[in-house]
Amino acid sequence: MKDTIKQWLNEGIVDLFIGYKKVMEHPLPHCFTKANIEEVDDLIIGPSRYALEKIATHISALKPDIKIGMLARDCNQRALSVLYIWNQLNPENVRTLNVNCCPSNLSKHGDCSYLEPETPGVNKQLVGMDNTVDPRDIEGFDQPQRLSRWMYEFQKCIKCYGCRNICPVCFCQECSLEHPELVGTGALPPEVPIFHLVRAVHMAGRCIDCGLCEDACPVDIPLRLLYRKVNEIVRNVFDYETGSCDNQPPFSILGDKATLEPKPLMRA
Amino acid sequence: MTIKRITFLQELLAFMGLEGRLHLEWISSAEAQKFVRVITDFTEKIRALGPNPLPDYAMAARAFGSDFPSAITIGDADERYN
Repeated sequence: MKDTIKQWLNEGIVDLFIGYKKVMEHPLPHCFTKANIEEVDDLIIGPSRYALEKIATHISALKPDIKIGMLARDCNQRALSVLYIWNQLNPENVRTLNVNCCPSNLSKHGDCSYLEPETPGVNKQLVGMDNTVDPRDIEGFDQPQRLSRWMYEFQKCIKCYGCRNICPVCFCQECSLEHPELVGTGALPPEVPIFHLVRAVHMAGRCIDCGLCEDACPVDIPLRLLYRKVNEIVRNVFDYETGSCDNQPPFSILGDKATLEPKPLMRA
Repeated sequence: MTIKRITFLQELLAFMGLEGRLHLEWISSAEAQKFVRVITDFTEKIRALGPNPLPDYAMAARAFGSDFPSAITIGDADERYN
């Protein structure tokens, strides 16, 4: 793999390659270039992961023509496909090298920081939301329990914006979560549940279920679970599979004019 | 677009535990009777559901600092909203 990267850099197939390098024993995202090609020997591949495509988006926003290579897991690939759809990256300028990801029939061994999520403690299981369950299990709770459990989780929020900052598909210049008229800025704790629901709505048709938000959350709010439900709705109601469809999600108007048929899709 | 978003939001709110509090209807300015019927029905529905539970959480949070209020445990919530 290192030889391939060196070859790509030397032959100019890519101008830079984004991977991981160990710095002070910490695996950190690193940009490998032709000028420092010997660094490629330090490339590491392991369970640590980061939204590399987010770095690629930032770089290509500054230099649109630069050719970028990057390591990609399945979640990176899904995020890339969303970023292509939203014109944040040009697929012609991105080359990926696939790395081992979740365990499957082909590869028994998996490399992902999410493979072993922590088992929640007793109190969290009692009054909060287990991060590891399926959205369907939540629907098993009755209505006041669902509200109470979600509110327990949301009220822990310290509004660090970690979920948004790590998110590979959060690319808006202006973020609703910082809009003073939508979400009160500067105030702590944030307004719940609005803060989290605003983000959840924006994840509809975008979230690729990488789980980095939950990895990043310092207070362990089951965000992945919430966004998984959000995209389950998008799939069930609109038949749109986020991350593997090549058209924009159902909430976007395509083309120069609105072409929405005036028909109700489904009456709730 | 509206119906897409509202349908989505209804499902999301239901998942959160706030079902039945959002309703969408197309009513023309010529449909006064329909307007009356829809508003009356929805008002009745909301009255049956009881007051919005969210301000309780906000008030409790203010009173107890940022800690999750012990006043609202699941048992209490059950009694209050059932």
